[in-house]
Amino acid sequence: MIALRDVSFGYAGTERPALSRVNLDFLPGEFSLVCGATGSGKSTLLRILNGLAPHFTGGSLSGSLVIDGIDVTGSKPHELAAQVGFVNQQPESSFVSDTVKQELVYGMEQLGFNRDKMSDSLKQVAELLDIEELLDRPLSWLSGGQQQRVAIASALAAGQKILLLDEPTSALDPEAAAEIVGVLKSLAHEHGITVILVEHRIERVIELVDSVVIVANDGLVTKGGYEQFENYHLVPPVIGLSTELSWNPVTVSVSAAKANWERGPQQWKQLVNENLSKTVAMEVNDLSVSYDGLDAVSKVSFEVHAGEVVALMGKNGSGKSSVLWAIQGGGKRSSGSVKTQFGDPKSLSADERLCVLTLVPQKAADLLFLNSLADELSESDKFAQLTDSGTSKIFESLTGRLDPKIHPRDLSAGQQLALVLALQLVKGAGILLLDEPTRGLDYAAKRSLAKQIRALRKEGKSVLVASHDVEFVALVADRVLELESGKMISDKLTTVALGIGSSHPTQISQITGQPGLLTLSQVEKVQK
Amino acid sequence: MAKRFTASTASPLTWWLFAVTMAIVAGVSQNAMIQILICAAALFAILIFREEAPWSRSVKFYLFLAGFVVIARVLFRIVFNIQNPEDTTAIDLPGFSINLGFGPPVELFGAVGIQALTGGATDGLRLAAIILSIGMASSLANPRALLKSTPSALYEIASAISVAINLAPQMISSLQRVQKARSLRGRSKGLGSMAGTVIPVLEDAIDSSLSLAASMDSRGFGRRGSLSKPLVLGARLSSLMAVGALSVGSFALLVGQTQTLGWVLIAIGIVSSFASIRINSKSQIRTRFEPMKLQFFDALILSLSALLLIAAILGWFA
Amino acid sequence: MNTFSGKWISNLSILLAGIGSVLMFSWPFFISGDSAAEADVAQVVFIALMPLMLVLILVEVATGEIGSKQIALLGVLIALNAVIRLLGAGTAGIETAFFLIIIAGYVFGSGFGFLLGTGSLLVSALITGGVGPWLPFQMMAAGLIGIGAGLLPKFGSRGAKLAVLIVYAIPASFAYGFLMTLWNWPFLAGSESSISYLAGAGAIENLIRFLQFQIFTGGLIWDLGRAVTTVALIAITGPLLLGSLQRAASKTGFVKPSKPEDANRAKAPGLSG
Repeated sequence: MIALRDVSFGYAGTERPALSRVNLDFLPGEFSLVCGATGSGKSTLLRILNGLAPHFTGGSLSGSLVIDGIDVTGSKPHELAAQVGFVNQQPESSFVSDTVKQELVYGMEQLGFNRDKMSDSLKQVAELLDIEELLDRPLSWLSGGQQQRVAIASALAAGQKILLLDEPTSALDPEAAAEIVGVLKSLAHEHGITVILVEHRIERVIELVDSVVIVANDGLVTKGGYEQFENYHLVPPVIGLSTELSWNPVTVSVSAAKANWERGPQQWKQLVNENLSKTVAMEVNDLSVSYDGLDAVSKVSFEVHAGEVVALMGKNGSGKSSVLWAIQGGGKRSSGSVKTQFGDPKSLSADERLCVLTLVPQKAADLLFLNSLADELSESDKFAQLTDSGTSKIFESLTGRLDPKIHPRDLSAGQQLALVLALQLVKGAGILLLDEPTRGLDYAAKRSLAKQIRALRKEGKSVLVASHDVEFVALVADRVLELESGKMISDKLTTVALGIGSSHPTQISQITGQPGLLTLSQVEKVQK
Repeated sequence: MAKRFTASTASPLTWWLFAVTMAIVAGVSQNAMIQILICAAALFAILIFREEAPWSRSVKFYLFLAGFVVIARVLFRIVFNIQNPEDTTAIDLPGFSINLGFGPPVELFGAVGIQALTGGATDGLRLAAIILSIGMASSLANPRALLKSTPSALYEIASAISVAINLAPQMISSLQRVQKARSLRGRSKGLGSMAGTVIPVLEDAIDSSLSLAASMDSRGFGRRGSLSKPLVLGARLSSLMAVGALSVGSFALLVGQTQTLGWVLIAIGIVSSFASIRINSKSQIRTRFEPMKLQFFDALILSLSALLLIAAILGWFA
Repeated sequence: MNTFSGKWISNLSILLAGIGSVLMFSWPFFISGDSAAEADVAQVVFIALMPLMLVLILVEVATGEIGSKQIALLGVLIALNAVIRLLGAGTAGIETAFFLIIIAGYVFGSGFGFLLGTGSLLVSALITGGVGPWLPFQMMAAGLIGIGAGLLPKFGSRGAKLAVLIVYAIPASFAYGFLMTLWNWPFLAGSESSISYLAGAGAIENLIRFLQFQIFTGGLIWDLGRAVTTVALIAITGPLLLGSLQRAASKTGFVKPSKPEDANRAKAPGLSG
């Protein structure tokens, strides 16, 4: 269906090619997963297949692309629109119309279909994606999962036989993601559509795909089955465990790994409970927040010690963000109080608060507005009245040195987060509040963030992190608080809260069934 | 009960044609009663046919403006009064003049005549009728649907406008989000914080515009047939002729003696405008899923418009 | 869009349309005495012709090479500008729509400036319900400001660019105010008051009357407010906005990346993985 021959791709001004001499074939009805580290050419590879690279991304392409037997090298996206459908990360930013029906026919209108053909195809594709009931609805009323279905339907409405998707589940919760992946599998296997998917949450799709393509940082691309993951470090814990213990073949499902684990007793170490300071850094008493008479948070009380990392877990809408903003003082607080060494943050000015505590919002980039990394860092020093470049010291300790001329928007999500952390910590706040910091981060970035947080903890800072990412919380937190509909329903040590028998065990807990064993780093490596 | 007629029963173009007809009738008529009737009709149409939609919530605004224009016209006649000895005095105010340091002194107040007052009110009513007619169309016609019936030559621009209308609410919420987040960094308030608020929103907007563009292009946006050279030349020349004729015609209309020429040129300008739009639309290969269909209700409104127009030409409303 | 140029015809049309539309604003200066009875008709005729003039320029601008990236960028900037305009609305003399039109027109060129100017005013009127006979005139005036911004000399240093923009912003804000007051003048004052236009009296006499109208209605204060906010916003946001928009220009293919760093940045959009 698709054949890439000797394809290389490089962006102007960089020596390292994003892709080098790629030869790949995809069959009709093949469901294929493309993965690779952030900054590898995986998105570029996907975009080459419909001409978005180089026409939308810049850069230079060599080699040839053959689709359905026809050499289409160098075609623009709209010239391939009838053959290839493309779905982006965030469906809402790719919608052109206001209602579902209009969105679905958009592509067909562009391709000049006649009316009858349009209504036939519309009916078919709506049935295929099971969205017949949504046709007359405004797009903004749909849930994330429904929006993604509509986006897929509109990419296939004109009868495209190839579907490209760039992280289609990244904005979805696990249930909605599983549904979408199921839909993709049936499109490939029952309807013969070639589905090529870029996804870094490998565990969501790995059991369903036919093939795996790995794009390495040096631009080399390999295609095959699960054995691909042997020398690959960007993997979920279940595959990580499998390679760590040299299981052959690689296990990709929790149940298979469980069977392997039980076959031979393995060595692992308990987490050492580092000594916790007795000093209470922050005391939250009966905190409540209500919007228009509805309680978002009701009577939440807890304390955080100096040098402690506490995770605030709970589903979307359980009030995690509201708690953080209410503690910080910038958000709404209906009643309750927060005690810190310097008094209640609510009673301080915005500038004074920065000496006491700081909040990094969900979208860290909202705080960045200057044209280069250097400008951001020096503005921050000026604001904090530092003469030695204090902000860059903090930043470098978090990420290492980076080109100061780089535009902040061109930093990776992880680097942006580190930059905002540095900007917010420069005034010496002892308490750090983080709102869903792992959004958009891959496994490597998550691990590096966890390391940064543990380093801050060592300095004696207290960290309260709102997250629903179980594996990440297992890496950083000492204690887990759980919120449900604005009420605090539990306050447990992490080993208990995420261990076997809890409501959210980590993958390693599920596989090993050992109380106290949560993360891959606790497992002793087996030498081959 | 029969299905109720509402704004969207008729095509948005129908409402606009109806509004323009009413505005023309108001424009040619010197009769205050006719103007009042048109105002009433426009208001009546809004109140009966409007639906729950953001663009139909501005009735008060249009009413206010209409009232404002009438009052302004009358007030100008009273305050900046030109005394006319032939007019019967209605209000006798003490007159005086102000010298602004340039030009002749400005005469204020004085004896205000009845004709001046009624003339001011009639002129004001005429404009009020035009404002309310247009207000009626913009309250009843769904702008999104209207964008779908723009000529193909304007398809690209109509796309940008409809993207903007769809994005505006999102933009408001991201401005609010960034403003809130900005408070976390401390720093300045007021106008000084504009950069810190606008830039992150703008950067997000640029990124989302790129993914939107990728999505549009991937679905075929940007396909166009090419026009033959003579047609391109024809389109450009007819545009040139249109703007030339309209500009010169407008001038001719104003300078006296040449009014007939003015009207002829304007007519030529209008015809060549349509020619230019027609030719430019030919390069489009796209189709439309729901092309405009005329319903009974449209036919009703359009025939009413036609009758009004004929009556206006025959001078019944003068 | 194709090798056959004829582009100069298009540019000539835009120029002529610009002159013609300024005439449609300033007709009270030229109208002759014997068409006094037609004065009201003239106003109605121009209200009807202005939208046509707008459409003609839009068609000329749109038939150039305009692709999905430019259209999408135009759409989001119009939305942003319309929303920014809402924030400033209601406070006398504060007009927050022009700084973005001027800066974007400067960075992306005259055609884009025209589209952004007309589009911003149209969309903000559509979302607030401010559609009226004045709207095509506001759109045209704002579009002309955008065209003008695109014609300014392109200096290398950011300071010089900023200076040019600020110097341009002052007359541009006043010109917009001047044009719209010109439109309001016959609309509000009619033809029969002591500060109305006097058909046939000639341009100078009418200019004096117009200034008197400006002074009595306080129009100049609004114009001053508009100029001050526009200049202040350009001065405050300009240095950063220029950077952001130039980055966007290289991403969206308005300009070919010249320096390697620019090209490097140009790859960033949505390519995090």
